[in-house]
Amino acid sequence: MPLHPSPMSSQTVRQLVLAVRYVCCRSQARHAGRQLASSCSPGVPLQRRAYSLDSLSSGPGRPQPQQARIEKMSPSSSLTHRNLSAVAVSVQGQCEPLCRYDFLDLGEVEENTRRAQACRTIKRFIVEPALARLVTHHLVPDLEDSKAVIFECNPGPGVLTRTLLNAGAQRVVALESEKLFLPHLQALENLVDGQLEVVHCDFCKLDPVGKGSMKPPAMYSDKLFTDLGISEANWTDEVPVKVLGILPQSSERSRLWKMLYSLFERISIYRYGRIELNLFISENEYLKLTAKPGDMLNYRAFGVLWQMACHIELLHKEPWDSFVTSSKNKLAIPKSRLPNNNLCLVRMTPRRDLFSSSLTSSNAPTLILMIKQLLAKRKARLADLLNLWSPDSGPLLLKEIGMPEDVLTGNVYPEEYKQLFDLVDTSPDFTQSWLYQEILENPMKDGWS
Amino acid sequence: PVLFAVLEARIQQLQSDVVLDVQHSKVQFVKAHKSERGASSGRNPKINSGERTEVPTSGKIVGKVAGQTGKGKDDSPSKSRWLKKLNEEKTKTKKLKKKLGFEDIPVKSKKGQQMLPGTSHKIISTKAAEADALELAKVEELERKLKQWAVSVSPEHVKDNGEARAYEDVQRRVHCYLEACVFSGDIDRAGHFLLSHHRRVSRRKLLNIESYNIMMRVWAKMVSSAFTVVAFGLALCKHSAGLKPNLSSYCAALECMGRTPNCPPRFINRVLQQIQWDGLSVDELFRHCVFRQDERDMVLKAIHTLKPDFQPSIKPILHTCSSPLVKDIYTEVGHPTSNEYSRPILQSVLWRLDRNETESHATSIRDLLAEQRKVWHKTLVKALRESKAIMASSTQKVVRFSLYPYLCLMDEKEYADIMIQSLANLPPSGESLHILAKQLGVRVHNKFCILMKEQNQMVDKLNNIYNEYVELLSKDNKVLNVLPREQWQTLEAKHMSGPSLLGDECHWPHAVVLELGTYLVDLMVKHMKVNSDILNSAYNRKIIPVLYHMYTFRSNRQVGFIKPHPILTQIQQDAMETTLTFDSYVMPMLCPPVPWASAKFGAYLLTPTKLMRAVLGANQHEIQLEKCQEEELHPVLDSLTQLGNTAWRINQPLLDVIISIFNGKGSEKLDVPPPLSEAPRIPRYNQQELATYTSAEKAQLKREVINAKKKCGEMHSLRMDALYKLSIANHMRDEVFWFPHNMDFRGRTYPCPPYFNHLGSDVTRAVLVFAEGKALGPGGLDWLKIHLVNLTGLKKRSSLAGRLEYANTIMDDIMDSADNPLNGKKWWQNADEPWQALACCMEITNAIRSPDPTQFISHFPVHQDGSCNGLQHYAALGRDVIGATSVNLMPCDVPQDVYSVVAQQVEGFRVRDAEKALKVAQVLEGFINRKVVKQTVMTVVYGVTRYGGRLQIEKRLKEIDNFPKEYVWDASHYLVQQVFTSLKEMFTGTREIQDWLTESARLISKSGHTVEWVTPLGLPVIQPYHRPRTQLVRDLSLQISHDSKQRPDTVKQKNAFPPNFIHSLDSTHMMLTALYCYSAGLTFVSVHDCFWTHAITVDTMNKVCREQFVALHSQPILQELSNFLLQKYCSVPP
Repeated sequence: MPLHPSPMSSQTVRQLVLAVRYVCCRSQARHAGRQLASSCSPGVPLQRRAYSLDSLSSGPGRPQPQQARIEKMSPSSSLTHRNLSAVAVSVQGQCEPLCRYDFLDLGEVEENTRRAQACRTIKRFIVEPALARLVTHHLVPDLEDSKAVIFECNPGPGVLTRTLLNAGAQRVVALESEKLFLPHLQALENLVDGQLEVVHCDFCKLDPVGKGSMKPPAMYSDKLFTDLGISEANWTDEVPVKVLGILPQSSERSRLWKMLYSLFERISIYRYGRIELNLFISENEYLKLTAKPGDMLNYRAFGVLWQMACHIELLHKEPWDSFVTSSKNKLAIPKSRLPNNNLCLVRMTPRRDLFSSSLTSSNAPTLILMIKQLLAKRKARLADLLNLWSPDSGPLLLKEIGMPEDVLTGNVYPEEYKQLFDLVDTSPDFTQSWLYQEILENPMKDGWS
Repeated sequence: PVLFAVLEARIQQLQSDVVLDVQHSKVQFVKAHKSERGASSGRNPKINSGERTEVPTSGKIVGKVAGQTGKGKDDSPSKSRWLKKLNEEKTKTKKLKKKLGFEDIPVKSKKGQQMLPGTSHKIISTKAAEADALELAKVEELERKLKQWAVSVSPEHVKDNGEARAYEDVQRRVHCYLEACVFSGDIDRAGHFLLSHHRRVSRRKLLNIESYNIMMRVWAKMVSSAFTVVAFGLALCKHSAGLKPNLSSYCAALECMGRTPNCPPRFINRVLQQIQWDGLSVDELFRHCVFRQDERDMVLKAIHTLKPDFQPSIKPILHTCSSPLVKDIYTEVGHPTSNEYSRPILQSVLWRLDRNETESHATSIRDLLAEQRKVWHKTLVKALRESKAIMASSTQKVVRFSLYPYLCLMDEKEYADIMIQSLANLPPSGESLHILAKQLGVRVHNKFCILMKEQNQMVDKLNNIYNEYVELLSKDNKVLNVLPREQWQTLEAKHMSGPSLLGDECHWPHAVVLELGTYLVDLMVKHMKVNSDILNSAYNRKIIPVLYHMYTFRSNRQVGFIKPHPILTQIQQDAMETTLTFDSYVMPMLCPPVPWASAKFGAYLLTPTKLMRAVLGANQHEIQLEKCQEEELHPVLDSLTQLGNTAWRINQPLLDVIISIFNGKGSEKLDVPPPLSEAPRIPRYNQQELATYTSAEKAQLKREVINAKKKCGEMHSLRMDALYKLSIANHMRDEVFWFPHNMDFRGRTYPCPPYFNHLGSDVTRAVLVFAEGKALGPGGLDWLKIHLVNLTGLKKRSSLAGRLEYANTIMDDIMDSADNPLNGKKWWQNADEPWQALACCMEITNAIRSPDPTQFISHFPVHQDGSCNGLQHYAALGRDVIGATSVNLMPCDVPQDVYSVVAQQVEGFRVRDAEKALKVAQVLEGFINRKVVKQTVMTVVYGVTRYGGRLQIEKRLKEIDNFPKEYVWDASHYLVQQVFTSLKEMFTGTREIQDWLTESARLISKSGHTVEWVTPLGLPVIQPYHRPRTQLVRDLSLQISHDSKQRPDTVKQKNAFPPNFIHSLDSTHMMLTALYCYSAGLTFVSVHDCFWTHAITVDTMNKVCREQFVALHSQPILQELSNFLLQKYCSVPP
C-alpha cells in the first residue's frame, strides 16, 4: 500500500496528538485505581502495544479531511468530565450512582474471560483492556465531535464498549447476537446516560435471504435503522455510521461479499449512506482484499471490487491469541499460502465519488458480473474477453482508455476497470449484447439481500 | 519402427556403459556387472567413444531375423524402412550380411537365455563351445550389456503393497495410454513411452506388469522381429523392474514362438518350465488370459510343437455358491424357463442386432440445422487435424502423457460427429464445463471400446454365440435345466477358438476422460462460429462464436460454464423436434441382454457396462468384485440377468393419449410438462425506466426477472426430459424391447437406459407393459381391480376385500375413463398415479368386455408395494413386535399403515401441547394427517436428519392452502421433532440397531478404514466416502471424494452405514425373490421394494416374497455382520 505523502507538519502534529492521547489514557488507567491496574494481566506483553503504535505511525495515511479534523481537535469537555470523575470515583468509592461522566470500570480480566467463554457459538472477543484501548484509539480522533454513530458488533463482555464510552464516544449501539450477554449490557445501558443502546441483533445476519422465522437476532436493516432513528442519507454525505466488530472466522469471505453486493446496489445498510466498516479480518483475507494488479494469484474480483468501492486502510495488526475464543479448544487458524498470523483491523470507507460517473445502483450488478467474468482468469487477454461481449470492440475500447492491446485482465487497476465500465455502459454495441443482459444467476447463497 | 526404437533406446543406454572394457569370459562379466553398479548409476552421459562394437550386435539381430524368417523382402514396409535407417546409421551392413548364414544358433541361444535369465549362464557356456568365437563374443557382449543395464538400473525395486497402491491411478493411466497408442497404430510412441519410463528409476514404479505385457503382445505380432523383442521384454520386466511375469506375459512369449516358423521346441519348453516354476499352469493360462484376434491359436500352436495332443481343459472345478439362502436354486435339478419368447418376436429382433449397437439412433427426422451443422463439422474436422498435427510434431519424444493417442483412435470426422451431437443436447441456459466434458469423454471412450472389440475380431464370434443363446432362450415352453448364465457359459466353452469375449480394456481414469472432454469442448468454443445476421438480416454481419465459456459462481467457487449464444438457441428452438440423436446405450435393447456371466461381462453386447455403478473414477468396487470368488457372485449375477430378461412392449393406446396432451399445451396436473410457450414472460425493462423506480421496486423487479428465468429453465428441462422419454417410447412403439440391469454399490438394481425405463415417473410406467401375455385366470381380474384402487391412493386402510368391493362400486367411472379419457368424467385424473390408473382402467374394461375374462390375455403388470420396506427390515432385525405389526409383518385383518399410526401419535402429542397453550400446537389443529408425515417416516430409516425432515414437512405444509404461511417454519420444526419422538417410541429395537451400526461405523472410520460388509447373498459392499481431494485437470479443479487412498470421511461413513446396510438387505431380499420367482416360472420385475408381475401370478409372487423375507431374516444377519466386522477390523478379537 503506497504511503500518501502528507505534509510533515500534519504528520508530526498527528503523532503528537496520538502520543498525548495515549499517555493520557494510560495515566487515566493509573489514576483509575487498583482494579484497573490489576486487570492488566501480567501475561500481556506491553511491547506489543509499542509495536502496534509503530505500525500505526508508519501505517497508511488517513484521508485529508479527517486529518484536518484531528489537528483542529482539542480535548472535549465530556472527556475531561469523565476523566475528572474517574479520579473522583477512585476517591469516593463505588457507592455513589454513576453519572454521565463517570469513568466506567472495565472489570476483571478473568471474570470477563470466563463470561466470554460461556458463549455457546464460537466467537472471538476482546477482553484485554489494553487491546480495547488500542482499538478505541483508532476511532478516537473523531469519537467526540463526530456525529457518526458507532455500531459495535457482538461486544460480548463489553470491555470494548466501556472503553469506547470512557474515551468519550457520543453514541454507541451495541448489536449483540447472544442472549447470554444481553442482561449485562443492558445493565450498562441503564448505567450510562443515553450514550449506549443495546439491541439484540446479529449484524452479520442483517437482511437474511432465507425463509426462516424472523426472530431476533435476525433482523431487517430498515427495522434496525428506523428503531434507532437513523434516516436514509445521500451518498455524498458524511459517514453516518461506523461499524466496529470482528467478522466470524468461518464465513468471513461470504459476509464480505454480501456487504459488497449491498454496497454497490445501495441496499441493506448502505441505503443509509456511506457506512464505514472497521472490521477485524484475518490477515490473509486482508491481503487478498488489497492485492495489487500483477499478483496473478490473489488479484481477483473480490479485491478489485472492494478497492473500487472503498478506501481501504489497515489500522492495526494483532496476533490471533490476543483474543479470547469462546470455544474450549482453540479455533484452528485457517491455513493459507499468504501469511496469516494476525487479525487485521481494517477500515473500509466507501468512496464518495463511487456513483459519480455512469455507475448507478441499478447497473452495478452488471459491473459486478463483468468484473467477476473478466477476472476469472487473470492471464487472459482483456481484449479477447471484451470481444466476446461485442465482436471487434475490444481493441477499440482499450485504445480509447489508452491501454495496450495485449493487456491481461490481471494487470488492470480497479480504477481502470471503472473507466472501462463507463465506456461499456455508454456503448450501444454492448448494451445490446445478450451477455450484458445476463444476470448473476447463482449469487452466493447469502449474497443477495 | 518399434524395434528400431527399442534398439535405439538400448544403444543409447549401452553407450553410457561402453566405457568399460569388453569382457569375453563368462566369469569375468559376472564380476564386471557387480563392480559396475557405481559407474553406471553415476551415468556418464553420452560418451561418444569410437567404439562400434555394439553396432554390429544390434545390427546383427536384424540380420539374423531376416535370415531366420528366410524372407527378408517380405517384411512389412515399416520394418524395411527401419532396416534402411539402421543401415544408414551404422556402416557395417556388408559384414553383417556375410555373417547371416551361421549366426542363427548363437543368437537364439541368447534369446532363450534372456527369457529365462535364471539359467542363462549355463546355456551360454555350452553354446559358446559350439559357436564361432567371434560371434559368440558379440552375442555375449550384447547379453552382458543387457544384464548390466538391467541390474544397474534397478538397485531398489522392492515393491510393497502400500506403495503399489499409491501408484495405482497412474499405472492405470499408463495402461490406458499404451493401449490407446497401440490401438491407433502408434507403436513407436508406445514403445518409446515404455522404455523411457523404464529407464528412469523414479518413473519405473509407474509401470506394472500389464504395461510390459501390452508391449510384448504387440511385439509378438511383428513376426520377423518378434522373437528377440519379446524375449527382451520378458527379461526387462523380470530383471530390471523387479516384476514377476504373469500369465499374460508368458502368453505373449508363447504366442510369439507360435508365430515364428520352426521355432526350436526347447525354447518353448523353457517357457513352460518357467510357468511351472512360478506356480502357474498352462490350463490357467487358457482360462484366465484374454485372447485377441488369433492369439489363442498361436499359443496353442506353440504348445503343440512340444505336446502335439495338448488340449486345454475348459471346465473349471465347479463350486456352488455357499450362501444357504440360494441352495435350492443351485442344487435343484431343473428349472422351467419363464421366458417364452415366441419365435416371431425374436426374428424381428435378431436382424437388427449388429448395427444397432455401433450406430446411434435417430428418432424422428427433420432437418433445419443441417446446413450449419455441415459447416461446423467441416471446421471442427479441420481444426482437429491442425491441432493434432501440431501435437504430433511436438510430442513425439515427450515422455509425459499427451492427448495425442486419444485423438487418433478414430477418424477426425467421428470426433466431429460426437461434438456436433453434444451441441444438440445443450440446454439454452448452458451446461457446466465439467458435465459437458464428461459427456464428450465418455462418448469417445464408449466408441473406442466398441472399435476395439471390432479390431480384436470378437464381434463375429459374439454374434454367433449370441444367436445360439437367443435360440436356446426362445425355445417355447421347453423345460431347460440351466440358467441363462449357465447356458451362455456352455456356449462359450463350445466356441473356444478365436478371441475371448471378455474385453480386458481398461476403463479410462476420470482424469483422462475429462481431459479429452475439455479439449474437445475447447475446440468447439474456439471454432464454431456463425454469422450474426443469420436470423435477422438487419443486423451487421459479424462472425460470432456459437458457444461461450463463462463462469458462474456458487458459494465462493467459480464454475466454468458453456453457454450457447441466443442465436443458436433460437435456431434450435425454431427447428424444434427435428432430430433427437441418442447413443445406442441409452435406448432400450431390441434384443435380450447378454447374461451377466462374470463381473466384467454382461448387459449390452458391445457397449462396456459396469456391473456395479460407481462415481466416475472410483474403482474400489471393481477391485472388490474381482477379488470375489466368482461362484459367490452367481446369485447376484443371475438375478440381474433375470431382471434384464423381462421383455417389454409399449401400451400404444395410452401413449397416444399422452402424446396428444404433450403436443397440445401439456398439463402440469397430469405431469405432462407444458411447452415453453406456456412459460411466464421474462419481464423486460430499460435503464431509463428503471431510474424512476424506487429501490424497493427495483429489487422486486429483479426478483421477478430471476424467478421468471428460473421457471423457464426448469420448464425447459422438464419438457426436454419428457420429450426424450416420449420420443423413445414412440420409436419403440411396435417393438419388443429389454432393459439390461446393473446395480449400485449397495446392490440396488437399476435398468441401464437412463431416460426411459420402468423406474421412471407415472407417465413412463404407464406406457410400459409386459411383452408376454398371460391369461387372467380366476383371480386375475380381481387383482387388476385392487391394483387400480391402490393406484388411486384411496382406501389405504381397507382390507383387500374392501378395496375390491370399492372397485366394483365404481365400475361405471372406470369404464367411462377407459372409453373417454379426455372428454368423459375424468375420474382417473384425480388418482395419485393418474396415468397408470388410466391404463389399468383400460385393461379392466377390455377384460370385462372380452367373452371370458378368465381367458383374457393380459400384458398388464400388477404392482405389489412393500409397506415402508426399510422399517420392515429394521423391525424384523430387531424382532420388534409393535413396529412389525404397524408395517404389516404380523397377520392382521386390515392392512396396517405405519404413517397413519405415526400421524395419530403426533396428533396426540399436539393435543397435549395445545392444552399447555403452545401456540404452534394450537395453530396446527386439524392439519396433521398421514400425508404430512409420510415422507419423513419413510426416509427416517434411510437416515434423513432433522434438517431434511423439516424441509420435507415444510413442503407439505406449504401445499395446504389454508395453513397460515407465517407459521410454516415453526410448525415444521415442531412436527419433525414429534415425528422423531413417535418413531423412537414405536421402534425401540430399530433405534438400538441404528445406534450400533452408527457407532461401529464411526469406530471403523476413525481407525482409518472404510466400512465394508458382505450381504447375505455374498455381494461385497464398500462405502466409497473419503475425504475430498482436489485434482486439477486442465482448467477444471475437481473435488474427488471417492479416492481410496484418502482417509475415510467419518461423518459420511457413519451416517450412511445404517441406511446403506438396510438398502443392501432390501436388495438381497429383492434378488432372492427374483431368483425364486424365476424358478417358479413367473415374470418378475422390481422397482426397489415394489414388485411387478402378471395378474395371474400375483399370489405366487406374494408367497415367494414372504417366504424369502422369512428365509432372509432367519439368518443370523446381525451376528454375521458382527463377526465379519470383528474379523476384518479387529486383529485380536476380544
